[in-house]
Amino acid sequence: MSEQTYEPKIVAFLCKWCSSAGSDLAGVSRIQYPANATPIQVPCSGSVSPMYILSALKKGADGVLVSGCHIGDCHYLEGNYLARRKLHLVKELLQFVGIEENRFRMSWVSAAEGAKFAEVVKEFVDDLRPMGPQEKLKAKRA
Amino acid sequence: MINVQDIRDTARDLLAKGEVRAVIGWRAGSRGMAAEPCVVTKPEEADSLVWDPTCYHNLALQLVNDRKDLVHSKKTATAPIGIVAKGCDARAIVVLLQEHYFKREDVYIIGVSCENSGVLDERKVKAQVGGFAPSAAAFDGDNFSVKTAKGDKKLAGREVMADRCLECRTPFPKENNTAFGDDKTGREFDAQFAALARFEANDEAARWEFWQRQFDRCIRCFACRSVCPMCFCDECVVDSIEMKIAPETTAEEKANRIRWIERSAVRSENATYHMTRALHLAGRCVDCGECERVCPVNIPLRLLNTKMEREAREAFGFDPGASIGGPSLVASFRDDDPGEFIR
Repeated sequence: MSEQTYEPKIVAFLCKWCSSAGSDLAGVSRIQYPANATPIQVPCSGSVSPMYILSALKKGADGVLVSGCHIGDCHYLEGNYLARRKLHLVKELLQFVGIEENRFRMSWVSAAEGAKFAEVVKEFVDDLRPMGPQEKLKAKRA
Repeated sequence: MINVQDIRDTARDLLAKGEVRAVIGWRAGSRGMAAEPCVVTKPEEADSLVWDPTCYHNLALQLVNDRKDLVHSKKTATAPIGIVAKGCDARAIVVLLQEHYFKREDVYIIGVSCENSGVLDERKVKAQVGGFAPSAAAFDGDNFSVKTAKGDKKLAGREVMADRCLECRTPFPKENNTAFGDDKTGREFDAQFAALARFEANDEAARWEFWQRQFDRCIRCFACRSVCPMCFCDECVVDSIEMKIAPETTAEEKANRIRWIERSAVRSENATYHMTRALHLAGRCVDCGECERVCPVNIPLRLLNTKMEREAREAFGFDPGASIGGPSLVASFRDDDPGEFIR
């Protein structure tokens, strides 16, 4: 794939209550943002297992985004606190084995923050594009 | 110095009085100098127990196996089980207790302190004795003495001790029913996380260059998983073995069953396997170093685990294996957990 046609693939795990609704708002508000993110709705950012992130990278994602409700606003009261702790460890481990820091990103986007969601995705794509495809963890299949 | 006879006498008494149904300990092994785990069930067998610097095994694993046997055979224990435990074994038992794997009254801990010593690293010993594999090893104050075909040899403790023991601060089993040896908690041979800090000084490209070599080498023998007392799941996420296959199960269902990690030993799968294991052990690994010891291709697994351990300590003030009552790392949180990385 030549550099001109390379478009980063992002897998976005979006909390059902906030970020997913936020991405909908970005859509109905007709905010223009890159179409690189594939959204996957999850019940809560706290339900995102580290396996999801590693698996996405393994299956060829160039970046993984996890987005949930702001601290204190979790529908399940404490899911995003647990997510913050768990995904901090994932982030540290990815960096430790030498995966680029910008391949994994986390954000808090509420249902009212359509513009912020668009901004998060746009920034992520801008950061990913110069890095090129993610080959380190990608499975090589014949 | 611990008199091994004390351990034997304690085990014999406990068995004779019926206070325990068995004692898990180490006995002289059949492979070179290394001791091997054993389960003593009769008082007269208690004299086979040993305590020497080749007691590498983390016996908490035998405790897990015993528990599994009981559960799978649907038996109830008649009495607690005894276990000889050094510092790291006892820490592992504390984590298991914390996770309610068994109850405190189900286990009788005979603690043994490593004092100012630890277990040997066979690779370091071999380098020191030059070709003549030792047939026996013993504590000699803070040093070691080994028997080889060329005669006895004294080895300096710091030269041949396992890395994990050099970094160990808690050689005394704090959680015990009875304990032998002096409490040397807080000793410091090597700065803790020293190897980790050295490795982290590398830049990102060098770190990946290093780890890709390690991951490429892994043969997926799962020795690290088998030897780990914390890897007690009946079905590991790595191999979904328990999919019920009935006559009406379609080929599509079989092909589409969830496999987070494939079993083939290729880089991407190996990397995911080792990273997943490190994450599953975060806040649970007590750094007994068994995974690294048993690895047939010398993957420095302790680096991954100590990275998680240090992160848990520095970011969340969490110390695995410290207390039974505390919450687990990933099932608890504090309001001031770091969150600057989140946009």
